[in-house]
Parts: sequence; C-alpha cells; structure tokens
Amino acid sequence: MDTGSHLPKTGMIGELSETRYWIYLLLLPSLVIILLVIAYPTIYGMAISFREMRLTRPGLTGWVGFKHYIVMIDDPVFWVALKNTVLWVTFAVVLELGLGFIAATALNRNVPGTGIFAVLILVPYFLPNVVAGHMWALLLDPRLGVINDVLVRIGILSSYKAWFADPNTALAATIFVEAWHGFPFFALLLLAGLKGIPYDLYRAAAVDGAGPIAQFRLITVPMLKSVIAAAVILRVISLVNSPDLLLILTGGGPGDATQVLSLYAFQTAYKDFNFGYASALSVVMFVILMVFAYAYIRLSKIGQE
Amino acid sequence: MATLSLQNVQKSYGGLQVLHGIDVELEDGGFLVLLGPSGCGKSTLLNLIAGLDDVSAGDIRIDGRSVIELAPKDRNIAMVFQSYALYPTMSVERNIGFGLEMRGVNNTERNAAVKQAADLLQISHLLDRRPANLSGGQRQRVAMGRAIVRNPDLFLFDEPLSNLDAKLRAEMRTEIKRLHGRLGTSVVYVTHDQIEAMTLGTKVAVMKGGYIQQFADPQTIYEKPANMFVAGFIGSPSMNFVTGTLTSDGRLARFEAPGVQVEAPMSSGEIFGAKAAVLGIRPEELKIADSAGSMLTGIIDVVEPTGPDTMVTIRIAEQPIVARLPPRFFGRVGEAIWLSADVRSVSLFDAETERRIPLGTE
Amino acid sequence: MQLNRRELLAGATAMALASQMGTARAAGAINYWHHFASQSEMEGLAKIIALFQAKYSGTKVTQEGIPNSEYMAKVSSAVVAGGKPDTGMVITERFADLVAMNGLVDLSARVKAWPGRSSFPDNRWKGLSQDGKIYAVPAFAFVDWMYYRADYFEQAGLSGPPKNFDEFVQAARKLTDPSKGRYAFSMRGGAGAFKYVIDVMEAFGSPIVKDGKPAIDRAAAIEAVTFYSDLFVKEKVVPPSAPNDSYRQIMEAFRTGQTAMVWHHTGSLSEISGALKQGTQFQTAPMPAGPKAQIARVAYAGNGVIKEDNIEAAWQWVSFWGEPEAAIALLEATGYFPASTAALQDPRLTSNKIYDAAVKTLDFGRLPNTFVGAAGWSENVVNPAFQSVLTGQSKPADAVDRMIKGLDAAMR
Repeated sequence: MDTGSHLPKTGMIGELSETRYWIYLLLLPSLVIILLVIAYPTIYGMAISFREMRLTRPGLTGWVGFKHYIVMIDDPVFWVALKNTVLWVTFAVVLELGLGFIAATALNRNVPGTGIFAVLILVPYFLPNVVAGHMWALLLDPRLGVINDVLVRIGILSSYKAWFADPNTALAATIFVEAWHGFPFFALLLLAGLKGIPYDLYRAAAVDGAGPIAQFRLITVPMLKSVIAAAVILRVISLVNSPDLLLILTGGGPGDATQVLSLYAFQTAYKDFNFGYASALSVVMFVILMVFAYAYIRLSKIGQE
Repeated sequence: MATLSLQNVQKSYGGLQVLHGIDVELEDGGFLVLLGPSGCGKSTLLNLIAGLDDVSAGDIRIDGRSVIELAPKDRNIAMVFQSYALYPTMSVERNIGFGLEMRGVNNTERNAAVKQAADLLQISHLLDRRPANLSGGQRQRVAMGRAIVRNPDLFLFDEPLSNLDAKLRAEMRTEIKRLHGRLGTSVVYVTHDQIEAMTLGTKVAVMKGGYIQQFADPQTIYEKPANMFVAGFIGSPSMNFVTGTLTSDGRLARFEAPGVQVEAPMSSGEIFGAKAAVLGIRPEELKIADSAGSMLTGIIDVVEPTGPDTMVTIRIAEQPIVARLPPRFFGRVGEAIWLSADVRSVSLFDAETERRIPLGTE
Repeated sequence: MQLNRRELLAGATAMALASQMGTARAAGAINYWHHFASQSEMEGLAKIIALFQAKYSGTKVTQEGIPNSEYMAKVSSAVVAGGKPDTGMVITERFADLVAMNGLVDLSARVKAWPGRSSFPDNRWKGLSQDGKIYAVPAFAFVDWMYYRADYFEQAGLSGPPKNFDEFVQAARKLTDPSKGRYAFSMRGGAGAFKYVIDVMEAFGSPIVKDGKPAIDRAAAIEAVTFYSDLFVKEKVVPPSAPNDSYRQIMEAFRTGQTAMVWHHTGSLSEISGALKQGTQFQTAPMPAGPKAQIARVAYAGNGVIKEDNIEAAWQWVSFWGEPEAAIALLEATGYFPASTAALQDPRLTSNKIYDAAVKTLDFGRLPNTFVGAAGWSENVVNPAFQSVLTGQSKPADAVDRMIKGLDAAMR
C-alpha cells in the first residue's frame, strides 16, 4: 500500500528502508555468501590450475603457467573423456526430455487416481545418485540382474549380458540409467509448464482445425520454450558436473569407455592427488559450460520475451 | 448460415448426469442464448455443440446434418472464448488467420480475409502486435475476428464479455448485436448475464441443474416465466413473490394473502378451492393506488431514490416486496401504502411445483 | 516472540558456557576414521572400542566409517582443508601417500618405549615406516591366498589346487563350461583390478619400482599382461562380465557357484564361509607361482595418529590395537589375521586347517608395493589400460606402454 510511506517513521531501519540503499542492504547477506562459497573457491580453483599442486609432493609447488593445459592437449584420456562427456550429456538430456515430456503430458490429463502416479514418477529423482547407481548395478548385474533374467526369458538375449563390461554397451547402459534417474526432473518442470498453458488454447486450436501434432508444435512447444530451455541448461550443467553415477556403475571403464571429464578430474584430484591438473580440467569444463549456456540461450532466444 | 437442432442431448461424466435430454431448435440466422447460473450445464452444452466433448446420447444437427461424429474442425463452427484464447506466441494477424492457415487457404486469400475481418472490427492497426500488448477490449475484438474470418455456419460464444469492465461490456454487446445483424450467421451464446440474454437473443434457453427450464423468446421469458426459478432469475430487481392461497371457480381465479387480493380470469376452466400458491409481480409493474380497489396494502419500510426511479421496500404482513416507483415519491417510512398492477402482468405459481398457473388468455 | 535485553544476554551467556563445556569434553575424546563396513567388521570394531573403554575410561573414542573407495579422498580433503581426525586406519598401499601429504604423525619414540613392541618382528613395521621413522602401529594382516571349489575340482578329476600358472591354466580349461554358465576363475577386471595385474607382472619377473625409481621390465610385463588377459580373451575361462567385475562381483560369482577359483585375501574368509561349506565345498590354497616368482602379498594394516592435538589419548588408542586382546577380538569377529606374533599363537588360529595356506604364505609373502603416487597410478592408469586389453580396444604392448608412461609421470 502506498499510503504506508506517508506515515511518520521512527528509528534508523525505518528511515533506511525508505532510501534507495535499502535494496543493496537486503542483497548484502546473499552477496557475502556468494562471494565466500562460490566466487572465492572458483577463483582459487582457477588459480590452482596454473600451479603445481600435488598433495603427495609437498615440495613441488609454484606457478607453472599453462603447463597443465598444454599437457592436456597431448593427453589422450582427456580427449576420450571430452567425447564421452558430449555423448553422455547429449543422449541423456534428449532421452530425459522425451521421457519427461511423455510423463508430464500423461500427468497433465487430470484423470482421477493419477495423483499417485505423479508421486511414483518422481521417486527416481528423489533417490540419491549413489543409491540409484547401486540399485541399477544390481538390476543389470551379469549374474543376479533381474533385467538380464527378463531379457533372456522373453528371448531377446540368449545369455546374461555384462552391460558394463562391454565397451560397446557400457556408455549406452549408463545413459539409460541416467535417463531413468533424471527424467522426473523434466517431467516436473514440464508439468508445471503445461499447467500454465490455458486449456482454452487447445479448444480454440481444435476448433480452428489444428490436429494434435499442430497443437503440439504451435502451442505446446512455443509455450514451454522457456521452461524447456531452462530445464535443459540446468540438467546439462548438473550432468557435466556430477561424476557420481558413473563412478559407481563403471568407474570410467572398461578401458576409458565411460570416462567423462568430471570423473577424470575427480580421479585426478582424489586418486592421483594432482590438484593442479584436476583444476585445469575443471576450468576447461567450466569454459565449455559457459560457452554452451551462452550459445544455447542465444539460439533458443529465451531472452527475447 | 444454418439452423441448429438439439435433440434429446444428454451428457454424463461417469455416473453423474450433467445434461438431461436437451431439446432446442434454432432458426437460420437466429441468436440462441443459453442462460443460467454457473454449474447449470450451459458451457457443457456449448462444448457438445462445438465437438470439444462427446454427447452421451441424443443428436446435434447443424443445417439438418448430424455432427456428433465430426471433429470440431469439421463442423464449420467458430468459437469465441471467455479467456479469448489468443495464441500468445503469434501476431494478431496470424491469430486471426490461424483457422484459415490450418485449412490450407493460400496466403493471398488469407490476407484478404484477415484484412476484411480486421477492418470490420476496426483492429487493422493492431495486426502486427502480440496479444500480450493488447487491451482487454482489443483482445476481445481479435477473438471475434478469428471467429468471423472463417465465415462459419455457426458462431459459438462462451461468456465472451465476462472479463470486461461494465462500460466495455455494454459497448461490445452492442458491437456483437451489430455484427450479428450484418453477418446474419446463427449464434449460440452462453452467458449468466440476463441483460445480455434479453438484449441479444432471438431465443433464450434458461437452464438449471442440467435441465432447460424455459425455452422461448426473451419477451415471453420476461412476461410469462414458466416457473419460479425463471421468474426470479430474469429481471432486476427480481420479481416479488408473495405466498397465499388460490381458489378458482373455473372462470375467475382469486389469490388471497394478508394484505393482498388479486382476481384474474382463468382460461383453463380448472376448478379448485384453497390451493397454496405464489403470486409474482415485477417491481416495475407496481403502481400507487387508492385504498379502494388496490391489490396490495403494506407499510413503507425503506425508500431508495436512484435518480430515474425510487425503489421502495414495503412490508405486507411480514412479506417484503420491492416496487419501482416514479422519482418524485413522497411516502415516508412507516406510512401505509396501497399498490396495484395490471392483472395481465402478474404471474401465479403453484406453491408446491413452483410451476406457472396459466391465467387469462394463455 | 520478542526478547528483552536481559533474556538476550542470559541466552548469550548460556551459549558461551555450552560451547566451553564442549571443548572441555573434547579433551578426553578422540575420533577415529576407518574403512570397516561389513557387519562382522563393525562388530569387531565395537568389541575393540568396548575393551579399550574398559581399560582407559578417561578417553572416549568416536568412530567414523568411510567407504574404502572414498577413504583417501576424505583424508586428503581433511589434510588440505582442515578437519583432520585424531587417528585413522592405515594400510600399506596407502602409507606412502599419507606420509607424503603430511597426513601421519611420527610415532618412532613412542613405539620404542612401548612394551608391546616385542610381539612385532621387524617385517611388521616395514610397510608402516619410512626413512627409519615409524608412523603407525600394525594391527592385523591381510594374507593373499586362493579360494577354490573343492567339489568342482573333484568333479573335474583334479587332484589338488594348481601350484603354478601352467597348472592354473590347465585346471581352468577343465573347470570351464559356458553352457552351464560355469567359469574357472573370478577375474577382477573392474575397480581394484590393478592389484592382480601388478602381482602377475611381478610373477613374470618385472618389478614395478626399484630404489624409488620406476622399474617396469617392458618385455616381462607384456608377457604377464598377455598371459593374464588371455585367460579372458583367448582361454575364455573367466566370466564375460570380468571387465566390470570388482570385489562384490568376483565374490558373488564364487559364492553363487559361477566360478571355481578366486584370488583374494584372508579377509573374505568369513564371508565365503557364510555361503559355502569349509572343506567340502571350498578350500584355500597358496597363490600359484609364476614363471619367475610366487607372488602373494601380506599387507599389514595399522593405525596412525593423524592429528597431534590429543596425542596421548590417540597413542593409547592406536597402540591398543596391537595388544593381543584387541587382535583376538578382531579375529573372533572377522577372521582377520593378527599382526602380532603373540596373537598368532592363539589355538583358534593354529588348530584350523583352513588357515594353513595363509600360515605358509607368511613365509614367502611380500609387502605390497608402496611408493608415492601408487594409488593414483594403479587406479587411474593400470585399471583402464588393462580393461582396454580385456575389451580388445588395445594390445598388451600398448597397455604396458601406457602403464610405464603413467608410472613415470606419477613418480616424476
């Protein structure tokens, strides 16, 4: 209410809240937290990437310039991991978006009794990566796995398959598990988006002669564009950055068949204790993500509306 | 342009029947208003006509052709929604032309049609805008443009004016009436606003609880309401009801209540003695009378001058009624007052069934 | 709710007091990081803590379990970022890294003065000391050996366990029948695969590190990797899932009867005994000998002091693990071999035939390789290199070259 501002105020805070500095004051706590827990570690991490820092060699230290980055160019594992990262993220996001869309559309029907499905569909997302990883490692187990058993029984496989042991199927199998784990994220956001589309638009389109495909293309997708764009960016960032599922399912193997950048950086830091090189890998990931996010936002034109 | 015929249309959701045997005939070029309070089934009925929902039983014919098996787009109808339902990501021009675009009409033809519709609705200058940048009234016009551009057999309006303020609503009401006069296309119009029903409709179907209460031209509905619900729903302020007893000797009916006495000719020849009945008199029909020969006698309770009229609340043996009297009214609160009305303008209802008891020449 | 000034002050005082009491209590308390996980291990640990508490009532031990694979990550984070525990479990393979990152406190003086020292011959200390300084007190040992299915061997007409690699391959061929889903050998190809890759390399005569310098003999190593990977690639006596099989999978394969042999150490005895009958269904044997050497590791695990703040209490705790009562409590719960000779004389150990192979192995067993960077090289280089041979993505020679290059980089 505007009238409030004409009431006489007493006290410092009352007066301060009337000035334009008030908004900065309100922002201050979160700014301090961001500086402490995000900006400082990020800048520190970037600084480490130009230093030698190996925990097991306290004596080896100092600035080394671009050494780690130059080493990276000749590191075959880096290139394999980069390629795998692109494959893993692309296929996982496409699958998750597709599954999420199907789930969201189904849940948006408001059929009585689907409320329980809404909860059930979200269950995978509530599972921590580690739990989901161990669960699927068991489900796909070459000896005890239920999935192998089912596939053999219905005749698709002749014998149990070690999905994670074969470089031709390991990445696909991990993508499948990730898709299962991550699609509720899209389902949730897309459902919220779908709920925001007035139902009259579909009725109007039906009267105007637009079939289901035209309705999807000309109403649903444009109306969900910002939601999809935001969800994809969030998911890509989280997929690029989190190695936990792969760490549990394959550890990057067999060979380097499922090695991705985040896992490689993690292993370099916590198995080799080579924080300098690991930081350089992380900085490369950071740059790639920034470029991706910028290009993606530009291309999807979500800033325009 | 087409006729519309609803024959025993029924609709149920699961075990819940929301429409019970709706029968309606609309002449070519007619304007049918579906009027009723929310939840009466009027919007459901409109959806059935549009094909956005399937009938459970019965038939819907447009120009004699059954359409219940047809998809909405094949019924050659156009619809205007309460929310306008403009496609937010498209320009006004594309919005209006969307129906033609979906039907594969070529660009030149489409542009000409859109331009013509826009001119008719005076929105030609808005064609490049997005719906988000339009005012409520402008959106309403675009929504109508989208409907008329296709030159359909039937226009369907779903409470199109509810989201507008009072002034715009009156303006657009006139606009719709003008358009209907110009285009001559048959219209089905859903509203809960009795003024819209009275001003626009050539036929009004008053609905309640999934039944049509009365289906007639607006004048009949106003003057000869079929039951107490219709009588009370139409008119503002609404009709006065006084409960009493009715006796009939076959030629003359005589209604009596404390402070009330009305005699009216009976056309049916029905004879009965002392039947519980309700007398209905519209406030605007009441006039000040002498103590001798008046219909109603009561005490003035409240006097509310509105400018053109004075609304007077009168207590007749504990039953309050309202009379719309001329502006210069000099009665005072607490004074006695005598009123009468043209006996042809009163209605009588069976107190038990709430149905109209025909009087006079009916 | 509104607080007046007096209430506020009272609250603040109470909080300050509470925090002081907290520090006061902490003086008599130490925490302990370990990577015990199984039920039997936790049972053993609980017993040891109870015994310790009975003896040293003034010191309270808080234990914190960390998954084995995360252990070094957690400890190194604690060393870099602060938050080190007072004490922690140390195994030989990780010893060099822990010392290099200043993660362990020198205990030489205290060990010298410790009466329990006499129960520990010099070789017990070797894996836990560097440059003459002792950093941890040995507690128990993992002795490498082989488990085999006595019943399968009998069905296949084999008189006894293979003594060398040739016999191993011969037996493996007879024990394999893919149509029945049966394979001879549970090969560890997933996480932890490096251990046996390195063992086989040494069995073929290639050292890994000599005098603190990389010392892989390329030709011998290629021969070793070829032999070992051929069990999977050519001989096909190993389940097809091997490239992703880690500890859980190889044990499952053996317990469920898919495989006839598995290489592991004494630590898994109780787990296997839970599924199979000792003697009739499964037996234990020393590791088979390679062409140049018989390799089996005897890895002493001990406990070290990581933070010096509560050194007295911490020393009480880590040295208590070396006392016979603690070692026997652990043996009873888990079957883990005691490191102290005093405990090795216990009749529960000497009377059980199943331990014979381990006792024999104590004579020739070697300490695991321990050098700075060992963990990173093993897991980040040896594992993927060997896996890529198993999956046909590279040749043994390429894999060995990658291992040599990786080892050079790790030790540089």
